[in-house]
Amino acid sequence: MAGVGYQGVTKRFGDVTALSEFSLEIADGEFVVLVGPSGSGKTTALRLVAGLEALSSGNVLIGGRVINRVAPKDRDIAMVFQDYALYPQMTVQQNLAFALKMRKSPRAEIEQRVLQAAATLGITELLRRKPRALSGGQRQRVALGRALVREPQVFLMDEPLSNLDAKLRVQTRSEIKRLQEQIGTTTIYVTHDQVEAMTMGDRVVVMRDGVLAQVGSPRELYEQPADMFVAGFIGSPAMSFTAVSATSNGSGRVTLSRGDLRLEAGAARELPAEVIMGVRPEHARVWDDGTRLIGPISGRVEYVEMLGRENLVGVAVTDESRLVIDADADFGPRPGDTIAVGIQPGRIYLFDPNTQKALGRI
Amino acid sequence: MENIAVQLPVTEISAPKRAGKRAWRRAERLPGEPRRIAYVYLAIPFLIYAAFTIVPLVQSFDISFYNWDGITPGTWVGLANYKSFFADPVIRGSYLHTLVLIVFYSFIPTAIGLLLAALLSRMRIHGLTVFRTLLFLPAILTDVVLAVTWTWIYDPHGPLNTFLGSIGLGFLRRPWLGDFHFALPAVGVFGAWEEYGFCMIVFIAGVMKIPTSLYEAARVDGANAWHEFFAVTLPGLRYELTVVVVLTMIDALSTFDEVYVMTGGGPGTATTVPAFEVYNQAFLQGQVGSAAAIGITLMLVVFAVSYGITKILEPRGE
Amino acid sequence: MNTASRAQVVLNYALLILFTFLAVYPIVGVFLASVYPPHSQPTSISPPSHFSFHNFVTAWTQGHFALYFRSSAIVAVSVVAGSTVQSILGGYALRTMRFRSSKDIFYTFILGLIIPTEATIVSLYYDIRALNLIDTWTALILVEVSGEVAFGVFWMRAAFMSAPRSLIEAARIDGASTWRLLWRIMVPFAWPAILTLMVLTFADSWNEFFLALVLTTSDQHLTAPAGLQVFSGKYTMNTPLVSAGAVIVAVPVIVVFVLLQRQFIRGVLTGAVKG
Repeated sequence: MAGVGYQGVTKRFGDVTALSEFSLEIADGEFVVLVGPSGSGKTTALRLVAGLEALSSGNVLIGGRVINRVAPKDRDIAMVFQDYALYPQMTVQQNLAFALKMRKSPRAEIEQRVLQAAATLGITELLRRKPRALSGGQRQRVALGRALVREPQVFLMDEPLSNLDAKLRVQTRSEIKRLQEQIGTTTIYVTHDQVEAMTMGDRVVVMRDGVLAQVGSPRELYEQPADMFVAGFIGSPAMSFTAVSATSNGSGRVTLSRGDLRLEAGAARELPAEVIMGVRPEHARVWDDGTRLIGPISGRVEYVEMLGRENLVGVAVTDESRLVIDADADFGPRPGDTIAVGIQPGRIYLFDPNTQKALGRI
Repeated sequence: MENIAVQLPVTEISAPKRAGKRAWRRAERLPGEPRRIAYVYLAIPFLIYAAFTIVPLVQSFDISFYNWDGITPGTWVGLANYKSFFADPVIRGSYLHTLVLIVFYSFIPTAIGLLLAALLSRMRIHGLTVFRTLLFLPAILTDVVLAVTWTWIYDPHGPLNTFLGSIGLGFLRRPWLGDFHFALPAVGVFGAWEEYGFCMIVFIAGVMKIPTSLYEAARVDGANAWHEFFAVTLPGLRYELTVVVVLTMIDALSTFDEVYVMTGGGPGTATTVPAFEVYNQAFLQGQVGSAAAIGITLMLVVFAVSYGITKILEPRGE
Repeated sequence: MNTASRAQVVLNYALLILFTFLAVYPIVGVFLASVYPPHSQPTSISPPSHFSFHNFVTAWTQGHFALYFRSSAIVAVSVVAGSTVQSILGGYALRTMRFRSSKDIFYTFILGLIIPTEATIVSLYYDIRALNLIDTWTALILVEVSGEVAFGVFWMRAAFMSAPRSLIEAARIDGASTWRLLWRIMVPFAWPAILTLMVLTFADSWNEFFLALVLTTSDQHLTAPAGLQVFSGKYTMNTPLVSAGAVIVAVPVIVVFVLLQRQFIRGVLTGAVKG
C-alpha cells in the first residue's frame, strides 16, 4: 500500500513532448483516473510509473521513494494492459502464477494466491485453458487476476475495458471499482471514456496535450470546470458553447447578447466584453413561465434526437452556435420550428474567449 | 546513481548543462535495464558473422588489387583486375554466358509460372498440396544431385538421346554437354527445369490473393481473358513478380555447382560463369587477385540487379 | 471462383499435371537408375528388368558415402543448432532492446544477405588455412553459421516483431529477466518461425557444395555433395552406382521436406523477401 507522486515529470520522445511538467499526489488507497483524448499524455504518465519508459526530467515516487531508475519488477506494481498481454503458450493458471514464479515464491504460496485470485474473479474453471480458448471478457479477467495475484502496492490499468463490448464494459466497470474498494490498493486507471472516469474515480485527472488540465473529484470537475476543455470533455451529452457579448448593467447584473439572443442575469464579478457561455443540455429546457429560468431564448430547431427517456433538441440560438436542450420524451418539435428555451439559474458557465479559462457561472 | 531522498521538493533532476549525450542515454535506456545487455546477446552472433563474412569480404577487396598466385608475395596492380572485366575474353565470356542463363533461369520459368497461374486463377485446384510438394522438389534438392542426374540425362547414351531416337528425331542426338554450341543451353534447360516449379507455386499463391471482385469487375466491363491478365492478374502479382525475378536472376548469376559438375566450365570455356571463374582462377590457375576481383564484381552486379529490378517493378515502393 | 468452363478446367489440370510430372520425372529417373544391376547402363528413365540394391551397399562402403553422410550430418546439425541459437539471441536483442547502435548493427546484418560466397571464398580459404583448419568440419561449420546468421537474425527479428510490445512489457513487470523472457515467452511464441528457420538452414547446409569443395579435401571430411562429385568423377561410366550415391545424398532432404513441408514452403516463400 503506498501513494504515488509525480513531481514536475516531463517525458520527451525525440522532438515530441508527451508529458510536460506533470505534478500530482495520489494518496494511498485512492482510485485515480487519468482521462483525456489520445495524445493527452495519460498513457505516458501511467507507463512512467510502471517503469516502461524513462523520464526526461522530474521524479516519480512510490510510497515516498523516488523510483526513477528502478526496474519495473522492483517497483512492486502490477499492470493491466489494454490488449491483456496474456502469455499465449501458458495456461491461465501458469499466467497467473508467472510473476510469483519469477520471484521464486514457494509453491504452496503460489498455488494459494492463484486459487484465491481465480475465485475472486470467477475464473476458477478456466485455469487449465489457454488464452486463445477464452472470450474477450474472460481474458480481461485473467489479466486482472494476474495483477491481483501480485498483491502490489499500486495497480496500473491502461484502458482495460476498451476492447469489451458496451454491456460488458458497464458490468465490469463496477466490478473493478468494487474490487478496488474491497482490496484498497492504490490504483491509477487510464481511459479516454469520461463516463468511466466519472463513475469510477475517487479523483479524476483531465489531461490534454501532455499537460494536466484539472484534477478533482468527479463532482468538482462537473460543477467547476477550470476551462473550456474540461467543461466540454466532462459530462455527456457535452456542453454547448456560444460566443456572446457581455454588458454590465450596473448593480451586479449583466446582459449577454448576440444577434437575437438576449439574457439577463446576476453576475458577481467583472466580465470582459466578449465571453463564451457554456450550458449543459441537462440545465436547459423548453421555456416555462412558471419555473424560475434565465431566458427566454428563442431559436430554430435544427434536430431532435430521441433517446427513449428524453429527447435532445438542438436549437440554433445565434448564427454560429446552437444550444442542445433536454426535453421530455413527448416533446417533439420538428426541425424548422421556433421554440423558446430557458436555462437553470447558476448554470450558465462563462469562459474567457482568449485563455479559455473559466470565469465563473451565473 | 543519485541519492534516493524521501520527500524531494519539486526539482529539475537533469541539470541543463549536462544535457546531450548523458541525457540521451538516461532518457533512452529503460529503468532498471542492465547496461549494455544488448551487446552481450549480440556479441557471439555478430563476431562469428564479422569474422567469417565481413572480414573476408574486406580482405577479398584488398586482394583484388594485387596480382597474386597464393604462394609467393603478390604485386600491386591497382584496378587492373577490374579492367580485365572487359578485356579478358574468358571473364567477358562468363558474363555473356550468364546473360544466356538469365533467359533460361529467370525469364522462361517466370513466364511458365505466370502462364499457369493465370490459367489456374479461374478455378479452385484440388490437391494443391500434392502439386506444391512435387513442384518444389527440384528447387530444394541438392544441386549436385540434380546435376549428376542431368549429366546422365544428357549422356550420349542417356535418356534424352534415347528418347529423341525413339520418336524419330535421331538426327538431333549429340553429346550435349560436350558440344560447343549446346552445352550452355543444356545447362540453361537444367536451370529452367529447376526454377519453374518454384515460380509456379509463388504465382499461384499470389493469384489466390487477388480478390475475385476485381475479376468480376473486369468481366462486367467486358474484358476477355487477355485483358484480364494484363489488367488484373499481372498488377496483382507485382510483388511476387519482383521476388521471383530477383531470386531467379540471382540464381542465374551465382550458378556454380551445376557448371562444375556438368561441364567443368567447358568444353573449353564455353560454359564458364563468373562464380566458376572465381574458383577456377583462384584454385586452379593461381590468379587469386583476379579471382577476388571477379567475386567482388559479381557481388556488385547481384546487388545492382536486385536493386534495379525492385525499383523497376515496384516504383511506388509498396 | 469457378468461372472456367469445363473444357478449360480439364485443360488446366492437364497442364498442371504435365508440368508437375516433368518436374519430378528426372528425379524419378535417378531413383530408378540407382536400382539397376551394377555396371549396367540405363539408357532411359524406366524400371530395370531386375531390381538390385547392390549399388547402395557399394556406394555406402567402397564409395565412402557412409563417411560423407556422417560429415554432412555432423556439419548440418551443428550449423542448425549453432546458427539458430545465434539468430534467436541476435534477433531478440534487436527487437526488444533499445540501444544506440541498434539500427547500425541491424543494417550490417542485412548487408550479409547480399554478400555471396563467391566474394569471400578466396579470403576464406587463406584465412582458414592460416588457422590450420583446412579439411575440418569446424571450418565448414563456422563459415556456414556465419552466412546463416545474417539471414537468421533478420528472420528472427521479424518473427519477434510480431509479438506485441505489451507482452514483453507484461513479462518485464512480472519480473522476468531478459533471458527468461526470451526462452519462456518469446521462443514459444515464435516457435513456427524458428522451426522454419531450422528447416531452411538444414537444407542450405546439407546442399552446400562450393564451401565443401574449397575447404575440405579428405574423404573423412568431405560432405555429401562434394563427396558425390568426387564419386561421380571416379565412376563416370557406372551410372547406377553414381545414381545410388545421388539418392543417398538426396534422401535426407526429401525426408525433412516431406515431414515439414509446410514450414519449408512458407520459409522459402516468405523468407524470399531479402531486402
